[in-house]
Amino acid sequence: MTTSIRAVVAVEDRMFRALAVLRVVVLANAVGIAAFRNNFDHPVAGWTCIGVMVLWTAHAVITYAKPIRRTVRLLGADLAVAVALMAVTPWVKGEWFNATIPGFWVMGALLAWAVRYGWRGGLAAAVVLAATDRLIRTDFDQGNYANLFLVLIGGPLVGYLAESLQQMAAERDRAERDAAAAAERARLARVVHDGVLQVLALVQRRGAELGGDAAELGRLAGEQEQVLRTLVRTQDRVTTGQDGGTEDLAVALEAYADRPGVQVALPGGPVELPADVVAEVAAVVGACLDNVTRHVGEGAPAWVLLEDLGDRVAVSVRDEGGGIPEGRLDRARSEGRLGVSESIRGRVRDLGGEVVLTTGPYGTEWELVVPRGSRDR
Amino acid sequence: MEEQARVRVMVVDDHPMWRDAVVSDLEAAGLDVVATAATGTEAINRFRATRPQVVVLDLQIPPPNGVEVTATVLQEDPSARVLILSASGEQDDVLEAVKAGATGYLVKSASREELLAAVRRVSVGDSVFTPGLAGLVLGEFRRMAQDPEPATPPGEQLTDRETEILKMVAKGLSYKQIAERLVLSHRTVQNHVQNTLRKLQLHNRVELTRYAIEQGLDD
Repeated sequence: MTTSIRAVVAVEDRMFRALAVLRVVVLANAVGIAAFRNNFDHPVAGWTCIGVMVLWTAHAVITYAKPIRRTVRLLGADLAVAVALMAVTPWVKGEWFNATIPGFWVMGALLAWAVRYGWRGGLAAAVVLAATDRLIRTDFDQGNYANLFLVLIGGPLVGYLAESLQQMAAERDRAERDAAAAAERARLARVVHDGVLQVLALVQRRGAELGGDAAELGRLAGEQEQVLRTLVRTQDRVTTGQDGGTEDLAVALEAYADRPGVQVALPGGPVELPADVVAEVAAVVGACLDNVTRHVGEGAPAWVLLEDLGDRVAVSVRDEGGGIPEGRLDRARSEGRLGVSESIRGRVRDLGGEVVLTTGPYGTEWELVVPRGSRDR
Repeated sequence: MEEQARVRVMVVDDHPMWRDAVVSDLEAAGLDVVATAATGTEAINRFRATRPQVVVLDLQIPPPNGVEVTATVLQEDPSARVLILSASGEQDDVLEAVKAGATGYLVKSASREELLAAVRRVSVGDSVFTPGLAGLVLGEFRRMAQDPEPATPPGEQLTDRETEILKMVAKGLSYKQIAERLVLSHRTVQNHVQNTLRKLQLHNRVELTRYAIEQGLDD
């Protein structure tokens, strides 16, 4: 898959950098032990082997650093050197040797295979190394078995982890690219929308001035402008990764700006609340606005204000109608009808909030205050 | 003085069609359009050359954007006034422009009369608030109040009266209606509203300075 190659290489680079350090550590370990014991039957051959290990380690550290050099040939040679050094051990150290000449140094080749070829590579290299170790020993004891067992487990395991890391890095890369693409799409959309909005606003303005048929065109343009403006703002507020089922109440209320005569005032950022609370508050605001339409008139001016007060949110819905005549609410109640106002109060109460209704000849205002925290169910 | 000095205006908009429409409306109403510009760079250069009293500014212009133009222009001449005339009404941009010192905001769907009234009011130092802008500014103060760190000094906080009035503006009441309800003069209401903007701009400047000092940009 071409899209993930960059991520895969990046992970490999990191792993091979770590492996380079490990190679030096296990080399130092092997050299140190050889110097301390100095138990070669053929010292010249033994120290030649150690020299080969030093040279090969240097070669491997330099060569593996370049992604393009990590070829089958290099990895094959890496493993072959390790196997060869193990294979000459019985001759150099004598038949009854305990540790092979390279010892833990073979780890370098094993892990290189695991990192490069995943769990299958790790397993293949482990099998080759384990088989070599078994074949060169005349005396095979429990300790040798434990080492082989660890090699056979460790190779595939490291390979599997390397593969997983590469997969995750590729996924993260893809997600980042998607996010960048989405942001760019949004930016382009804004530019296009802005142009369209400009034209619609101009048509609306000139249409109203010209009158007649043009006024009707202007009115239509104005409606579309309002719809598009709402869409643009809603899109801007769409957030990815909704956590815990919360939604933005500002987006929900913004939608009411589509209604003729309705103006919506919101704070700058999102106002996150549990999704069901958002739906209910928006529905209650819708009921208030329906009430304005019914009692004040179609397209009558109305204002919605949302405030985020930290531990609670407040929504005001105001109109400039004649107010609710005195006694109408009581009459509705005494007739056993659940008036609109009772229904609004009840719904907000269910959310753990409260409603303040002010009404008079200057108009009617509902203020709904709903707590932010989790409500009792 | 026999004839009142004509208000000198610059119109900044990258849409030629819109620019012309706004210019012709302003000129027909007797205002003096001393310059027009289509980009931020043009706007700043022509502002320097012509020194208009009012800049009618679209936020979505080729760089530098409307917010930067607002800041630059007001830094050069604090007595100038910026009226934002925005098509999409992108809230973040509008808020940033207001923080940078713009004192008026209109959406482009506003009528010719509304535009003229807004330019005149801005030119004499009044601020032009829509309910939408009031809601944004109010939200910004609420956010500042909830933010424990750093604590906002009292000089940058709203008084109860200012909050009350700003809230009423956000709920669509006119200054006249607010004055009647609160038994205040129209002028007093206007002053309170203007104070809210002033405090927001002050807070913004203080924030910017603090940021600059923290980043070691102050020397």
